[in-house]
Amino acid sequence: GLVQSCGHIIPESPVLALGSNFTALCILNESCLDFGNIYANQIIWKIKNRLVPKEQYREINRTVSSVTFNDTSSLATPLTCNILADGQIEQNIYGITVTVGLAPEKPRNLSCIVHQLSRLRYPMTCTWNPGRHTFLDTQFRLRYSWPQETFPDCIPKDVNNSCTIPDVQFFVNTEIWVEAANALGKAESDPLVLDPVDIVKPLPPHNLSVSSGILPTVLKLSWENRISDAVMKLKFNIRYRIIGDRNWMEIPSEDTASPRTSFSVQGLRPYTEYVFSIRCMKEDGVGYWSDWTEVKAGITTED
Amino acid sequence: LGAGQSIQQTYDLTRYLEHQLRTLAGTYLNYLGPPFNEPDFNPPRLARAERVPSATVDLDLWRGLTDNARLAANYRAYSRLLCYLRVLDGQVGTAELRHRLAHFCASLQGLVLSIGGVMSSLGYPLPAGPAGPPAPPGVPTAPNDFLKKMDDFWLLKELQTWLWRSAKDFNRLKKKVPPAVVTLRLEARGF
Repeated sequence: GLVQSCGHIIPESPVLALGSNFTALCILNESCLDFGNIYANQIIWKIKNRLVPKEQYREINRTVSSVTFNDTSSLATPLTCNILADGQIEQNIYGITVTVGLAPEKPRNLSCIVHQLSRLRYPMTCTWNPGRHTFLDTQFRLRYSWPQETFPDCIPKDVNNSCTIPDVQFFVNTEIWVEAANALGKAESDPLVLDPVDIVKPLPPHNLSVSSGILPTVLKLSWENRISDAVMKLKFNIRYRIIGDRNWMEIPSEDTASPRTSFSVQGLRPYTEYVFSIRCMKEDGVGYWSDWTEVKAGITTED
Repeated sequence: LGAGQSIQQTYDLTRYLEHQLRTLAGTYLNYLGPPFNEPDFNPPRLARAERVPSATVDLDLWRGLTDNARLAANYRAYSRLLCYLRVLDGQVGTAELRHRLAHFCASLQGLVLSIGGVMSSLGYPLPAGPAGPPAPPGVPTAPNDFLKKMDDFWLLKELQTWLWRSAKDFNRLKKKVPPAVVTLRLEARGF
């Protein structure tokens, strides 16, 4: 038949804060006492088969022995309660797993960015400092809400310091915060309150083309923007260099500080091949610059 | 947010919704198929469509309203339109269209909140009734597929007209309510 256990330990599977103190009790079954002729004062406590110093034991009564650890750093799994029956043979009565760790710290440095993926797709990625290692299974959740409207939490995958919300809404102030929780506690970051339209990194313009005109010192750039005016108006940076040259020259930003889909670069050298690249961002300067476009070449006409 | 910022943000959101709906409606009507996606399809407005808040108003009357009354009318209309849209949202077959409808619904929910924010920043009470959108007053399911599609058609049409006019409302309100003045007036009243 089944072997009947002669006792148990409480607490069963504790999760303990590193550096705190801890007491466990081993409670013998009355039935075993009579049958096995065993008493609490015969109990031996072990950590991973290493004897716990007797000074840490205390016999509470005939059936209960306690063991105390002033600092859980010395604890490990398993913690076992054993009996030295008949004076010689050591019998294991019960064992527990002990998990030692730290409560999560307040996540810090929360910051978010909306990377435009296509004309309709704007996922928002938030990153944060998760704080110290807790040695415990710690769950992080990125949470965001409007007044009277809460959205599904974003649960990070495989990391604990970043999460991407697949689809954000523009033009509504959104409160964003991070929550960290484990068996020893919960902590929340300071909230960010922002309008996601203010943290967009737009896609760079595309279909950049360079055409020469009548004047040998002018080349005209044309491109298509990939974000709708209804989302944001754009401003631009334009840079260019002579093929083979390493130094970029840049059009003064005030000249390209308004929405457009073309620009004529003047003051160029006749009959010379140039390469151009442009990038864009929200017209009011709030948000992030896009990446630079791939370079596009063009040649000025002869003088 | 100050009143001016709140109105600007609501205006931007309205234009963003217009932009979304322009392409979304076309895609959805194609999903419904002929005759709904034909440019010259102009059906009579059936009694069933009356339940959706009609955007057809007497412009002089509309302009004659107080800012509070006009904002409240917008708030109530979008709250109800949102309910009907959510019924639509749950039945669409294609994943991409479902995603875009869900995004649009969330944006529209944002608009209801934003209008409420504007009203609060101007010191106006929100229209009575639950904070969120009222449950659709028992949206009777259409007796047949054609009438169901007709309901959807009119819902999108009315939404487009409401958004078109609301953008003008908020644009006009933006000019009437410079941020500083309102904030001073509120502070004078001990807010």
